[in-house]
Amino acid sequence: MLVTDRMPLVSTLRRLARILRATLVRPWRLPRLAPLALLLTAMMIAGTAHAQAGRHLHGVLEDSASSEPLRGAEISVVWGDAASVMRRARTDGAGRFDFRDLPARRVVMRVRMLGYTPLERVVDLSREDVLLKIVLSASNITLQAVDVTADTLIDALERVAAMSTLDATALNAMRGQTLGETIKNLPGVSVIQLGPSIAKPVIRGLNSQRVLVLNAGLRQEDQQWGTEHAPNLDSFDADAVTVVRGAATVLYGADALGGVVRIDHAAVRDSGPTRGEVSLNAFSNSRQGAVSFGVHGGGLMLPLVGRTGYRLRLTTRVAGNGAAPDYYLSNTGFRELNGSATFGVQRGWGTSELLVSRFATELGVLRQAHAGSFEDLQRAMTTPPRDSAFSYDIGSPNQRVSHTTARWRSTFARLSGGELEVVYGLQYNHRREYDGHGPLRFQNVPAFNLKLFTNSLDVRFRHATWNGLFGTVGASAQVQGNQTLGKAFLIPGFDQRQGALYAQEEWSTGRLSVTGGVRGDFISQTTLAFADAGIRSAAGTHSWGGFSGSLGAAVRLGNAWNASLRIARAWRPPTVNERYAQGVHHGTAQYELGEENLVAERSLGVEAGLRFAGQRVSLDLAAYNNVINDFIYLRPREPVFTLRGAFPAYNYEQADARLRGVELAGVWTVQRWLELRGTANAVRGTNRENSQPLYDMPADRALLQGRIVGQSARIGAWHVGGGATLVRRQDGVPQGTIYTLPTSGYQLLQAEVGTAGLMLFGRELDVSLSMNNALDTRFRDYLSRYRLFVNDAGRDVVLRVRVPIN
Amino acid sequence: MKTIPNRATRAFTAATVLLAFAACGDSSTAPGGEQELITRVTLTFTPTGGGAPLVAYIDDPDGAGPTAPSAQVGALNFAAGMSYTGRVLFENRLENPPVNITAEVEAEAEEHRVFYMATGAGISVSTTDVDGQGRPLGVRFTADAAPAAGTGTIRVVLCHYGDTPKPAQASSCTQDTDIDVTFNYSVTN
Repeated sequence: MLVTDRMPLVSTLRRLARILRATLVRPWRLPRLAPLALLLTAMMIAGTAHAQAGRHLHGVLEDSASSEPLRGAEISVVWGDAASVMRRARTDGAGRFDFRDLPARRVVMRVRMLGYTPLERVVDLSREDVLLKIVLSASNITLQAVDVTADTLIDALERVAAMSTLDATALNAMRGQTLGETIKNLPGVSVIQLGPSIAKPVIRGLNSQRVLVLNAGLRQEDQQWGTEHAPNLDSFDADAVTVVRGAATVLYGADALGGVVRIDHAAVRDSGPTRGEVSLNAFSNSRQGAVSFGVHGGGLMLPLVGRTGYRLRLTTRVAGNGAAPDYYLSNTGFRELNGSATFGVQRGWGTSELLVSRFATELGVLRQAHAGSFEDLQRAMTTPPRDSAFSYDIGSPNQRVSHTTARWRSTFARLSGGELEVVYGLQYNHRREYDGHGPLRFQNVPAFNLKLFTNSLDVRFRHATWNGLFGTVGASAQVQGNQTLGKAFLIPGFDQRQGALYAQEEWSTGRLSVTGGVRGDFISQTTLAFADAGIRSAAGTHSWGGFSGSLGAAVRLGNAWNASLRIARAWRPPTVNERYAQGVHHGTAQYELGEENLVAERSLGVEAGLRFAGQRVSLDLAAYNNVINDFIYLRPREPVFTLRGAFPAYNYEQADARLRGVELAGVWTVQRWLELRGTANAVRGTNRENSQPLYDMPADRALLQGRIVGQSARIGAWHVGGGATLVRRQDGVPQGTIYTLPTSGYQLLQAEVGTAGLMLFGRELDVSLSMNNALDTRFRDYLSRYRLFVNDAGRDVVLRVRVPIN
Repeated sequence: MKTIPNRATRAFTAATVLLAFAACGDSSTAPGGEQELITRVTLTFTPTGGGAPLVAYIDDPDGAGPTAPSAQVGALNFAAGMSYTGRVLFENRLENPPVNITAEVEAEAEEHRVFYMATGAGISVSTTDVDGQGRPLGVRFTADAAPAAGTGTIRVVLCHYGDTPKPAQASSCTQDTDIDVTFNYSVTN
């Protein structure tokens, strides 16, 4: 169905889109955004403070003896069933903390600081906002079991870098079919999508080996180099997801040149009651069902170990073919079966946690996108998409991927007033891709069969405050081995060893805080000879070393404003696929040729942020300029001819590039019951050597949402809302690609209704129903890998139910 | 295809097996079957009236590698007005002895079809063999040279239908192209 003007909402939104477009675009230069930002800011600040939907909990923390403000204490606020929702913050230089948009209910607040007795208290927010003064006393007693979430390294970055976090409540409400889909509406984030089953996060225009996924404190090593390789994660198995925009290589290593997606879990406590939950998701578009069962508890008595806490999760999902407005997308179904088990103890000396998990998926690749040669590709592009029957069957081409992880993480408290953290990880990623070529009897032999083994050790020491400095020093080591076993060649087998040393320190006064860090990395890559027809993959070892660093400052202006500036220098060695790729990629019939002699790419990014947190309005504005020298990219070259015909071909090459962009996010609580939200992103990538735009940059987009919220004893905290996604035409497309890329803009509408805490049959349920692409609009996103062949998915009605079990 | 399991990898495999959840069902050596690698396409035309056959072939010794196929070896000089019976031979000559892929194409006739597309008015090719369901296959064919002299090309396309049904009537490949090469020919009086 097309968007029609019969619907007043649509025409209003269209008008709004027109106005936005008029304000924003026609050759869109970034400075043009400034008036819009000012306008929005003015609009938001204009609202006076007389009502607000979420509660506000703030205050200061002091030392009991000296009454000095305490900086760097970790404060967490938890609520919900089994304390499932958590927000965390650190006190600033003036000992202040500030939580906004908390639920109107009783919450538990926990305060933890090295060298002080931890404190836990219940705060009642059901009637009003709360201002607290908390006094901590220095103590010699050992650290009590206090619930600390995951790693705390990020906190120093929090004040100077652009970050957004989805907590458990937000995750329950937004959980998508994949992790990429869950985070795609955060500022600065977009996704490269291959139908419903593969969504690859893009942060500020960068993806794959430039975006690190950190899962439960472990760098996720799942062959992230391919754009059709989605992060191998269970999207149910996360208590918080944080996106860091911009280089964070000092803490996370070379892969974090573009940004970080961090998945955190609540710590497993060895005491406490057993709780569980069942989550059910249903998606109408692909007739997908997903079930996830989670349980956690304490008091498990294990021989030799003693009292142990545990958390178990089991998830499965089954999806059939996705549906575009006029046809089904053939062979785009997928199935997943994931499980994880975590065991943890807290003792006087610290904590220890063992996690084992396995993620396994089988997914189909759109049949039409699987071309044998250039001519097949052209035929596929020009043939109108054929309707295929709906089916849950997955035929070739397809992928079978599994990711198995074992992770041991321990913290040792009270070592000269600091805390030592040790994380050891073992990961095994097995990726099999099956193509449609070759005789049927070989169709169960994968074309690409890659096994990646990763062994990593991270040691971090968070030292006690020293000469006014507060920070972390660390070392990490990783050894990796890759086997290439398929019937076709894509990358050679390799061994890779890397080591790093780093330090990040923060210094602050009440108003100003300065964060700086430096890291040295060494990486050695040994590729193995591959003996086969025409594959020029010689054995050899190559090493790279380098430093990265960052310096940032944040200043508090008045009570509500916060401004930050950060400069980050990062580098990244070329990956094995960039050096030695040789073969045709599924989905695009694109022949990619590596370049052995690539040098490391180096970036220098400058970003500025402005944050406003008022009573009714909060606003987050970020702008950046990221200069990447020797940026590694795929440049179209003359086709590769083989006996099979011609293939469009690309060489990995290097050029000096620049990425610039702005991100805007705002929330305006107009009335206690009405909330408006908006985010907008724009990024411009340029090859500075020929002034051409970079390939695969996300189109400018804005997301606008309105929500009416309320609370009742019977229904719980309910909301009804609607929103629009407005995507502008992508006019930054490099010349010389052989494809006619769809670049037009589109608008999608979305609606939702839901509640948290609905009382039904004596149980408290969270239920929501939402509708994406409500008008079944036909569109092709510029970043969709299937854009050459078919439209993106049409209307999708999503039902999410979460049932706690006590 | 040969892969050397590297030392680090072996150690990790052992560790992973100990943890015993990885379904490493695959053997550690590359499986056979390959991707139907074809490195030489040969056309043979035998005059129906007897005489020496015309043979021409094109090589691509690096298979799927980026080096372009060789120039055509052997000339296809048809005699005007003459009829020929023809055969196509697909081979993987990287193996020793060479693997005859035509035999595999014939064994899986229902998944394959060879198309011959001639330019210039000099020659017309019609396939003579069929698969188990009576649909054209195209490994064997007849060719009739025009009565007048001329030159042109014959494009040979091996089409692979996989699990998609092969159409009974078709003039070009509508599924995956396994082979796409072009030969030059001439017709002389």
